[in-house]
Amino acid sequence: MLVNSDQIIEALIETIEMVGLSLLFSAILGLPLGILLYATRKGQILENLPLFNVLNVIINIFRSVPFIILLVAIIPITRLIVGSSIGTAAAIVPLVFYAGPYIARLVESSLLEVDHGVLEAAEAMGATPFQTIFRFVLPEALSSLVLNFTIATIGLVGASAMAGTVGGGGIGDLAITYGYQRFDTVTMLITVVILIILVQGLQSLGNLLSKKIRRR
Amino acid sequence: MIEFQNLVKIYNSGGKEVHALNNVNLKVNKGEIYGVVGYSGAGKSSLIRCVNYLERPTSGKVIVDGHDLSKLSEKAIRDVKKNIGMVFQHFNLLNSKTVFANVAMPLVLAKTPKDKVIKRVTELLEFVGLADKADVYPDQLSGGQKQRIGIARALATQPSILLCDEATSALDPQTTSSILELLKKINEEYKITILMITHEMSVIRQVCDRVAVMEDGKVIEEGSVFDVFSAPKTKTAQNFVSTVMHDQLPESILNMIKENGTKNVIRIHFIGQSTGKPLLSQLAKKFDIDTNVLFGNITELQGIPYGNIIVELQGPDTEVQRALQYMTTNEISYKEVNTYVS
Repeated sequence: MLVNSDQIIEALIETIEMVGLSLLFSAILGLPLGILLYATRKGQILENLPLFNVLNVIINIFRSVPFIILLVAIIPITRLIVGSSIGTAAAIVPLVFYAGPYIARLVESSLLEVDHGVLEAAEAMGATPFQTIFRFVLPEALSSLVLNFTIATIGLVGASAMAGTVGGGGIGDLAITYGYQRFDTVTMLITVVILIILVQGLQSLGNLLSKKIRRR
Repeated sequence: MIEFQNLVKIYNSGGKEVHALNNVNLKVNKGEIYGVVGYSGAGKSSLIRCVNYLERPTSGKVIVDGHDLSKLSEKAIRDVKKNIGMVFQHFNLLNSKTVFANVAMPLVLAKTPKDKVIKRVTELLEFVGLADKADVYPDQLSGGQKQRIGIARALATQPSILLCDEATSALDPQTTSSILELLKKINEEYKITILMITHEMSVIRQVCDRVAVMEDGKVIEEGSVFDVFSAPKTKTAQNFVSTVMHDQLPESILNMIKENGTKNVIRIHFIGQSTGKPLLSQLAKKFDIDTNVLFGNITELQGIPYGNIIVELQGPDTEVQRALQYMTTNEISYKEVNTYVS
C-alpha cells in the first residue's frame, strides 16, 4: 500500500468538507428554486407560466450535462468565483452547479406530493401564498424532503470523488492517483469500502431522521 | 347571509366546456342550516366552493354577509374567508402537526397573540369533546375524531358562516349522527349559519331547516325540509326523499296485491295534528267498509310528526267512494296507489 492512514483520514476529511459545503450551498440555491418551481407551476398558488418555463429549462440544461463535463466546462466561472480552478474550494463550485438544480427538482417533487386537500384548507383559511408554503406545504413535505436531501447528499459523495480529479482532493482523488494510476489495489479497495460505509451511513441517517419526522 | 345571484361556473376540461353551475339563484338566511343535496356532478360542490372563492364563478354574484366577493381585492377576500369556516369530507388536517397545532392554525395565520391562541384552542377542543387529544397527531385519531378536529379548526376564528363539504360522507352512520348533532349544537349555541352539501338525504332530514335539490348545475327544487320531504315535486327530489322516507310498498306486499287483484289501495298522508286522529276506525264505523293496513310509517320532520300509510279499502264500490269523499271534505290528503307501477 502506497498511502498511510493519515493520508486516508485527510482525504476523508476533504471529502466530508466538499460534500458538506457543497450541500449547504446547493441547498441555499436549490430549496428556493424548488419552491419557486412548485409554486409557479400551472394551477399552483403563484401560477406564473413564463417564470416556470424559464426555470424549468435552465434547470434541465444543468441537469443534462454529465458532471465530469460540467466540471471542466465551467472552469472559467469557477476561476471567477474562487480565483482558482484547482483545490477543494474550486471543486465546490461545479458541485453546487451540479447539485443545486438537482435539489431544486427533488424539492419540487417532494412538495408536489403534499395532499391537495391541505392546500384547499389553507386557501379556505385565507392563508397568504407565503403562509401556505411555510406553514402548510413545507411542514407536510418535511419527511419526504429529508429523504430527498439524503439522495442528493449521496449523489454529492459520488460527484465529489470525480471532483477530486481536478485537484479537489478527497477519497476519489486518492483512489484515482494511487489506486488507479499507480496500480495500488489495496488503496483502491480501502477507498471503495470507505465510500460504501459513508453512503450506507448517510442513507441510514436520512431514513432515521425522516421516520422520526413522520413518527408513524 | 349568503346569496347566489345568476351564478354560472364553466370549466374547461380537455377543450370541452362543462357547465358546473347553470344560473343558480339561492339565498341562505342568517342562523339557519341550509342543505344542498344532489347526485355527484350536480354542481353542489362547485356551489359551496364559490362561497369562499375556492372557485371563482364564471359569471354572477356571490354575496357573503353583504359583500359582493367579485368587487373585493385579494386581501379583502382573505379577510372575508376568516369569517367563513370550512369542514371537508376528507378532513384535510395537517398530519405533520398535533391536534392542538391544527386547531390553532387559523389563529396563527391571523397573528393572534399566543395566550389567546392557547385559551381559544383549549376551549374549542373541550367543545368538540377532544380536550385529551391536544398533543396527539391526526393519524392516531378515528374518522369521527378527525372531523371533530376539522370542525374545531373551522370554528377557531369565530366565523359567522360554516361550510360543510360532504362533512359526513366518509363516516359510518353512527359517527355521522354524532357529527350532525355537533353541527346542530354549533348552530344553536353560536348562532352560526351553516351551509352543507351532501348526497345523503338522511343528513338533510336530521339537521337542516331548508333544502335545495340540485341537478345539472341548477337548483330544481327548494324549500323547507318539511315541504320538500312531504311533497317533493321533481322526480330527482322524489328519488332522494324515498331513500329516507321508506314510503314504497315492499315487494312481497306488492306481489300479494297483484295476485289477489286487490283494488282501492290508497296512500294517506298524516301531517302534524291529523296524525293523532283515529281516521281508519272512523271510516270503518261511518261507512260499510273494512280497512286493511298494508304498510305504514310515521316519522318526524323538523319536529313535526309525519305519517304515511297505505291501506286497502274493502267493501262495495259505492261505500268506498263515499269514504273517499269524506276524506276529501275533511282535507285529508290521499293518493290512489297504482299497484302495477309503484
